[in-house]
Amino acid sequence: MTVRDRPEVVLTHHFFTALFDFGFLSDEGAEAFKRLLLGGLALAIAGGLLLMRLFMNKYGLLAGAPEDYAREVVADHAFLMALPMWVVAGAMALAGQSLFPNEVDFRILMAEPLSRRLIFAAKLAALLLFGGLFIAGTHLGLLPVAALTLIGSTSIGSAASTAMAFLASSLLASFFAAFAIVAIHGVLVLLAARHRLLAFSGVVRVVVIGGLVLVLPLVLRLPASADAFAAGAWWLVLAPPAWFAGLERWLLGDTASSMLALQATAATLATVAIAVIAYVRLYRRFDRVTFQSAVRTTTPDWASSTNRRSPAAPVRHAVGRFVSLTIRRSVLHQGLVVGVLAGAGGLVLDSLLRANWRVDAAVDTELIWLLLWTPMTMMFVAVPAMRMALSVPLDLRANWIFRMTEDVEGRAEIAAAGVRVVLALAVALPIALIAPLQWSTMGVASLAVQIVEAAIGWLLVESLMANWRRVPFTCSYIPGKGFVPQMCVKAFAAYVTFTGATGLALLASLRSLAVAIGLTALVGGTAAILRWRRARRAREMGLLFEDEMPADVYPLRLYAD
Amino acid sequence: MLQARGLTKRYGGLLALDHVSFELHPGEIVGYLGPNGSGKSTTVNLVVGLLEPTVGCLSLLGVRAADDPIAYKRQIGYVPEEPTLYAHLTAGEYLTLVGRLRRLPSRTLDARIPVLLRLLQLHDSRHKSMTMFSKGMRQRVLVAAALLHNPRLLVLDEPFSGLDVNAGALLRTLLRMLADDGRMIFFSTHRFDMVEKLCSRVIVLSSGRIALERRVADFERDGPESLEATFVRATQQPDFAPVAREILDTISGG
Repeated sequence: MTVRDRPEVVLTHHFFTALFDFGFLSDEGAEAFKRLLLGGLALAIAGGLLLMRLFMNKYGLLAGAPEDYAREVVADHAFLMALPMWVVAGAMALAGQSLFPNEVDFRILMAEPLSRRLIFAAKLAALLLFGGLFIAGTHLGLLPVAALTLIGSTSIGSAASTAMAFLASSLLASFFAAFAIVAIHGVLVLLAARHRLLAFSGVVRVVVIGGLVLVLPLVLRLPASADAFAAGAWWLVLAPPAWFAGLERWLLGDTASSMLALQATAATLATVAIAVIAYVRLYRRFDRVTFQSAVRTTTPDWASSTNRRSPAAPVRHAVGRFVSLTIRRSVLHQGLVVGVLAGAGGLVLDSLLRANWRVDAAVDTELIWLLLWTPMTMMFVAVPAMRMALSVPLDLRANWIFRMTEDVEGRAEIAAAGVRVVLALAVALPIALIAPLQWSTMGVASLAVQIVEAAIGWLLVESLMANWRRVPFTCSYIPGKGFVPQMCVKAFAAYVTFTGATGLALLASLRSLAVAIGLTALVGGTAAILRWRRARRAREMGLLFEDEMPADVYPLRLYAD
Repeated sequence: MLQARGLTKRYGGLLALDHVSFELHPGEIVGYLGPNGSGKSTTVNLVVGLLEPTVGCLSLLGVRAADDPIAYKRQIGYVPEEPTLYAHLTAGEYLTLVGRLRRLPSRTLDARIPVLLRLLQLHDSRHKSMTMFSKGMRQRVLVAAALLHNPRLLVLDEPFSGLDVNAGALLRTLLRMLADDGRMIFFSTHRFDMVEKLCSRVIVLSSGRIALERRVADFERDGPESLEATFVRATQQPDFAPVAREILDTISGG
């Protein structure tokens, strides 16, 4: 028997590959997803090169100013530690369901002549490989940028000692991020009631992913926080990357950072201890993850799902409820929806936090512009992302029931159901979230702004869903149909145009009620026409259950037919 | 009446079904038999309208599937081979979804769903999502969903798979009564005993063609040869003893 055939190696390989398994993708979709990842990698490399260029300029200038260097490098190193932490935590959170041996592992593997010890050891090894892969990958990727920050490091120590201190702190920070996710899941598995385990696990994953998306803008702000680090700002004790930046300083002999260093060490030890205890406890009580009872719903009775009166559009009603139940109960779709909304929120959070709220808002154009720009930005991100979330399928084989019951009027109702969900979550929700801030700064005039915002949001949804002919979650899905960098350039141009134009329209609506009424009528009328066209197209063309790649080759047709 | 005329289905170069024709009359239960890969599931998918034939046509109660697929499918209740349903829903939620998609009034759903759940012994599990339902429980939910709109044609693909003895007996009795009430029942199976007990006619499929079509009563009248023996002969099944011997030799050897 070769090493590759040994059961522990085979099992570790199985668990490792399972961590990358996106079960919702078809073979074609998985291929497209790989292309999407490659596109993402290309973007990451481009971003890294841009970062290098920025750091090269910055540290070239700082080489002759030791005091400035010492102040700036702390914040930059905190940033360079935060990026791998974010990536590693995100990867571990996405693989959350597979962090511990689960019921499927039990049913399949315990029937084989394999010991429980072997199953746990293989799972742990796969997990370490998985985490290690992301830790190594992100650190290798950031190595050139980190090297640039060592220019001029002689002001705080030798380049070698600074490099060693940075690497040790950064690796520890990534280990902390990985073990923190494992610890959270471990505590949950041990403490949650067994019949609630699946639901809790899903909620935790959603909250962690949502939180990570939300803090991304704050991570990107770290390089500009040198003054906060120098002044020992209060928020440093709440920001894990700052702890490890403090640890690096302490390793280089800065005693002022000893509290942050202590916090970093204690937090890492605590998360490792909790993760290990969770594994050991689970090893002894494997029944915790097996024979989980089915998720009990809060539905009081079957009759609560129907109304006594028949709805005017029963198919739309049925599909709307199907979407709502799926988002509530499918961990994958819940994660997608929360991720989308958190992403949209995260994009504007940074700007809202930086705004000067103490000035007289009524006369501060910058603040008003920010509050008009915010919901538009959230909509611009959330509408296409929510459309994508509704496209990710759930058990494709079960969609036969929709194919069997399809009828002409039902097609239009089904298309409308998807559009309504996007309108509710990607348009109405951002408007409702920002409305109190707008009200407090603009007063009653903000009502006109919100009506125009709703009309613009409706038009955006109808434009992006003009060809929507799917029952949400029932059509096969091919992600990344276009070339990612090209799509990003297009999206950026569209974003600038959309937020710029709509911001001006909203500003005009704020100043003149007549403009607001006129714009609402124009935009709402256009949206209504698009809605009518969408319904007609859905009725004529039927529902879509198989996603298709766009034709890659567009013939020029330079010949005569 | 269900009429299938010259049904042919090609998947690329593969001929799955080759000019299959049959009829199904009200009150009849037809058993559809055939070895794996003979084209049974393809026929079922064509009959319920999930696939379109390459050549041939289907009509149900005078409605041609090609002319008006929606009206055609409205008359059909279908229980698929695998109990594929949206398991994150409860049984009641799934039946409500199906009822609404079929545009049944709320009053009808209110009257039918709890009774079906109770009679099919799913009432105690009505608050649970179907993720942890056994295959038999899911099969019962699908039977309820297929009957909810009172269809004229019931198409069942291995309906007894996963059902316990009691549920199997209930379904058998129910199918008999539905047929007596004038409904058409087309069911695909591997179980000869069920065909013999339940069906009025049997169609045997082999390599995409009809190898045998006969009334079940004729087997008793014409002689001692059992349905199983007839099936083996009609589908030209090999002698399995040498195959079993070879498997035994393989696992016994090094």
